[in-house]
Amino acid sequence: MPENTFLGPSLALSAILFSLGVAGVLLRRNAIVLFMCVELMLNAVNLAFIALAQFHGAGGQIMVLFVMTVAAAEAAVGLAIILAIFRHTQSVDLQNINLLRG
Amino acid sequence: MTRLDLSTPLGLTLALLPEIVLSAWALVVLLVVSWRHRSAEDSRLAGWLSFAGVAVSAAALAALWVNGVTSDGLAQMVALDPFRYGVAAVALLSAGATILLSLGYLERERLLAPEYYPLVLLATAGMMFLGGAEDLIVLFLGLELMSVSVYVLAGFNRANAFSAEAALKYFLIGAFASGFLLYGIALVYGATGTTNLSLGGAQLAGKPLGLMASLGLGLLLIGFGFKVAAVPFHMWAPDVYDGSPTPVTGFMATGVKAAAFAALVRVLMETFPAAASTWQPIVAGLAIASMVLGNLVALTQRSIKRLLAYSSIAHAGYLLAAVWPGTPVGAGAVLLYLVAYSLTTLAAFGLLAWLGRNGERDVTLNDIAGLAATRPGIAFGLTVCMLSLLGFPGTFGFIGKWYIISALVAEGQYALPVIVVLTSVVSAGYYLPIVMAMYMRPAPSADRYSAVRLAPTAAGAIAVAVAAVLLFGVWPAGVLDLAGQSGRTLTQTGVPIAGP
Repeated sequence: MPENTFLGPSLALSAILFSLGVAGVLLRRNAIVLFMCVELMLNAVNLAFIALAQFHGAGGQIMVLFVMTVAAAEAAVGLAIILAIFRHTQSVDLQNINLLRG
Repeated sequence: MTRLDLSTPLGLTLALLPEIVLSAWALVVLLVVSWRHRSAEDSRLAGWLSFAGVAVSAAALAALWVNGVTSDGLAQMVALDPFRYGVAAVALLSAGATILLSLGYLERERLLAPEYYPLVLLATAGMMFLGGAEDLIVLFLGLELMSVSVYVLAGFNRANAFSAEAALKYFLIGAFASGFLLYGIALVYGATGTTNLSLGGAQLAGKPLGLMASLGLGLLLIGFGFKVAAVPFHMWAPDVYDGSPTPVTGFMATGVKAAAFAALVRVLMETFPAAASTWQPIVAGLAIASMVLGNLVALTQRSIKRLLAYSSIAHAGYLLAAVWPGTPVGAGAVLLYLVAYSLTTLAAFGLLAWLGRNGERDVTLNDIAGLAATRPGIAFGLTVCMLSLLGFPGTFGFIGKWYIISALVAEGQYALPVIVVLTSVVSAGYYLPIVMAMYMRPAPSADRYSAVRLAPTAAGAIAVAVAAVLLFGVWPAGVLDLAGQSGRTLTQTGVPIAGP
């Protein structure tokens, strides 16, 4: 067991970053910024996994690799979708993207 | 009863055969369409190839199920029990029906990009991994494989602004929900030291839930709440269901929901059985909110597609009510209701796809008035679907709801069954006008519906689904036994469920 693990501070930082990401998704209106906030959430979780993996073995570290791969796949698809919507509205502001209502 | 040793490559390959077949088949189809992607004929070829893939995967699944394959020792990554097989069967059913419904639809809507079909296959493989995951890592990977594929499918008609907007909303909310789910996984891993569902359950058994595990459970419930579109995490669903191409909407409402519910049931019953008193009130709250709000808002909808979207939120509420007991009977009820709901919903969206044009967003009651006079077959099919969604006796939907209510009453819970019945009565207020419009109102003109042509593949798929809804409605013994057995085996590999 490592002597100085920084577990508490790491988890706290991870929680703060995650909360920032959530707040960004809820408050911001730009699709690209929203997407970046989601990425921030995922990377906050990665930090938590790394911190916890010191105690629980390599499972957490393996999970981080999977999360990064998935985030990359999501980025590819997500940016393509944002591009597709930009072609319709000439904007990525969610206030201008409100055809579906009711 | 065959036992597979999952520590050997051969055992693992056999255990994962349905998923491996489907994933590899998707890659082969992708390779084929990279040469053949121009004409309607190429699109049809990809569709039929993919349908064959679903059939082969279903055969592999049937071989596992019939031989009663279980794991030798602890299932590390993927479960080997009839509950997984049942959920995988729902996913394959949903995929097969979606492919058949899409064959004519894509040509009619000029969506001639055959990549559609490999995406359906990959999403289905994701659903099967999600529904069968015995480990939180596999659960996350299955969820993402499914979700990323379906984001693309939702926006498949990218020339249509509604479809593109649906994809954007689905993507942003879906990725947001994945973040919550992932944080929940991290905290559960931190609290238990393992990502295996059963081992985690063993760690959490017999002592009060710590702060980290409680937070993990809460975040997992939020993540799953978004994925199954339960109120208050439902706001994306009507818009996304509305804007997506109609066969994709059917796919999302059935396969995606089924896989997410299966994973939710498995996590709650294998990892958190000891914390039932913590999650049962939350699940009950989500269930009641979904049933009440979904049914009430559906009453106010004019577009039938949007009406069905709200109806699917209400059905998520009924399914959450079945999750509440956390018992084997409850798990069986979830599975049975998923089969009933999937068959009915696929047929309903399939029929809707042929009653409109250009996304079918504007099909209202006026557009089906007097349909029964000239197109009795379509009217009959839609009537059966509406009655089954309503839970009318004699249809499969009734059997599903009856099973949910009996699972709840067996645990001494009477409030949820009452709400299930009352909200079902409310739902008659929007299902029955559809039936009445078709049978009791006159058609605007004699040849109003002469242009409605079902593609033969779609007609076949819908006919089979409607026949199954009626057959299992009057002769449910076989599926009831199967669902009951599947529910029971869910706990045999894992930790025994603590009593209420």
